[in-house]
Amino acid sequence: MTTKRMQPPAVPRSRQEGSESQRGSFRRRRPPATDRFLLTYLYRELRSRLRQALLIALGLGFGVGLVVTVAAVSAGVGNAQGAVLHSLYGIGTDLTVASPTSGGASNRSGAGAGAIPNVLRPGDLGLLPTTWVTRISRLAHVASAAGGLELTELTQSGGVPQSFSVDGVDVTHPGLGPLASGTLTSGHGFSETDGFSNVAILDANYAAANKLSAGSAITLDGTSFHVIGITSQAEGGGADIYLPLARAQALARSSVGKSLTGYVDEIYVAAASSADVRAVQTEITRLFPSATVTSASSLASQVSGSLASTARLINDLGKWVAVAALATAFAIAGLLTAAAVNRRVRELGTLKALGWSTRRIVTQIMGESAVVGILGALVGIAIGFAGSAFVDAVAPTLTATVSQGAGSGESTTVPVHLTADVSEVAVIVAVLLAIAGALVAGSVGAWRASKLQPADAFAQIG
Amino acid sequence: MYTLSNVTKTYRKGHQSIAAVNDLDLTIADGEWLAIQGRTGSGKTTLLQLLGALDHPSSGVINFDGRDLARLPEADLTAARGDSIGFVFQTFNLIPTLSAAENVEAALIPQRLSAAERRALAADALASVGLAERASHLPSELSGGQQQRVGIARALVKEPAVLLADEPTGNLDVDTRDEIMGLLEVLWRDRGLTLVLVTHDTSIAERAQRVAIMRDGHLSMEDPGSP
Repeated sequence: MTTKRMQPPAVPRSRQEGSESQRGSFRRRRPPATDRFLLTYLYRELRSRLRQALLIALGLGFGVGLVVTVAAVSAGVGNAQGAVLHSLYGIGTDLTVASPTSGGASNRSGAGAGAIPNVLRPGDLGLLPTTWVTRISRLAHVASAAGGLELTELTQSGGVPQSFSVDGVDVTHPGLGPLASGTLTSGHGFSETDGFSNVAILDANYAAANKLSAGSAITLDGTSFHVIGITSQAEGGGADIYLPLARAQALARSSVGKSLTGYVDEIYVAAASSADVRAVQTEITRLFPSATVTSASSLASQVSGSLASTARLINDLGKWVAVAALATAFAIAGLLTAAAVNRRVRELGTLKALGWSTRRIVTQIMGESAVVGILGALVGIAIGFAGSAFVDAVAPTLTATVSQGAGSGESTTVPVHLTADVSEVAVIVAVLLAIAGALVAGSVGAWRASKLQPADAFAQIG
Repeated sequence: MYTLSNVTKTYRKGHQSIAAVNDLDLTIADGEWLAIQGRTGSGKTTLLQLLGALDHPSSGVINFDGRDLARLPEADLTAARGDSIGFVFQTFNLIPTLSAAENVEAALIPQRLSAAERRALAADALASVGLAERASHLPSELSGGQQQRVGIARALVKEPAVLLADEPTGNLDVDTRDEIMGLLEVLWRDRGLTLVLVTHDTSIAERAQRVAIMRDGHLSMEDPGSP
């Protein structure tokens, strides 16, 4: 066979030549040629059973689309939780340090019975000396640390007791603390020279309720403050009024009338990198064993309310529904592909009789499946985006209640709007899942094809 | 071309072992036309499959141009089918989604020729069976006789040493049968093919140089002088 010719078949081959050409080994194979025949055959086959191919693609697309939607909602829940946490602790804050007090009675939303009016009082958290801030900032892997002081003032308006919350913030670290997560809607933020100035930034909701704006003046504990800016928190959390930390410390009094100068009740810490957060947490705990050191991840576990219920629903039920749908789609695609191969027994057997290798036939089957997988991926991505848009449209506003530190008894409830975000990673995963599903299905068909004998070309002939 | 010695092929059917081909000896010379006749189930298709490297015998030797097909690995049998053996099927076995030219081209895929070479050879092969004008037609757009012509072109486009035909006219009317047999005879003569043809039809078998009869897995040569 090695001397086999390349002449047209119309030219007769002498019997003797043919006989000699058969001596010895069969023709050596040249490397496979990449050409359009495979694609033509693939295209014609898929076109001839278009309905079945579309059914498989739709099945895969539905499973993948469900996974994308669940992933998008899950990401949305994560983003919402992150927004809630950021609204409380600032975007740049990795850890908070607090000390629970033994007998706090009030929380940020109200004052306890017997509170003295027109006096700024600390919240339920215990007081920490500002030297802690310095010591923490000097720890390895700590990028920066800033103290904060959360206060509440009770007022009387027409005989009705009212309260508002005040946060003292470190003006030298604008990226840390509760003010960092807000967006200035008017005016400007604190500068480093504002440390001892009577200036204030108001929460947008508080300013609107009290008809205040940048340039207005407010009075706290008998001291007038110039409003320099209005801030809006992402999820509506945070204090009503923000003051420079030193001014807040100077105005506030403890329950026994002691000045709070030199004290904070919360320390915001930024680690050098996200990988260092755990190590920094360990270091601070070792340095101050009595302190409660909370990371964003540990705080997330303290989030309750409908947001937490949604998160559990997505993680527990949604994930498994998506996995089940995907597995079902894979199985159905596999069965349909195997059935399609069964209908082509004689065709594939004929190809083997013509000298097609099993590998070539398997490649053909897998190629057809891969195209169906790509179609399924496109369908899945479309379903994923549609599902996400649907969730965005119909999702009710959720609430998140966050306990702020062990033993403090203080909690904050904020409204959260859930948005389902389809990420680039989700799209890539969708494509990979759909193609993987199609290839799994194709493998079933290819395995069946590989088991066919070339003699199957003669099937049913008798 | 072929020398078969003590070839047996058995199949399991339940607890029974059935010898479709039983201790068969046969020699087929280069360029010979051998017709094999026999009743349904006599083993003639099994013999054709063994000659065509489609199956391994249970025992015995199938010497095909110096190599024992019984002992060749599957890859070499595939190569033998791709290079040296052409098949013509009773039911044509054309790929329904491919045109006549593409069906013929499919037989050249194992040859690893360029696409242009394949197309040229396929066009020539179709022309040699009188179907140049039907090259772009799907099998469903062709008559039975035309489909079998495409099948013959597909079998011969790679210029095999041997052509194995299993009831090639079994699905055709009498006129078309004669037309196809005339074509096969011309091609056999002009190309120096070795032709092994399985048929029920005595009038077709009589065209062959030699006629063998399969009975219960055994082969016997018919007396050339018998009526």
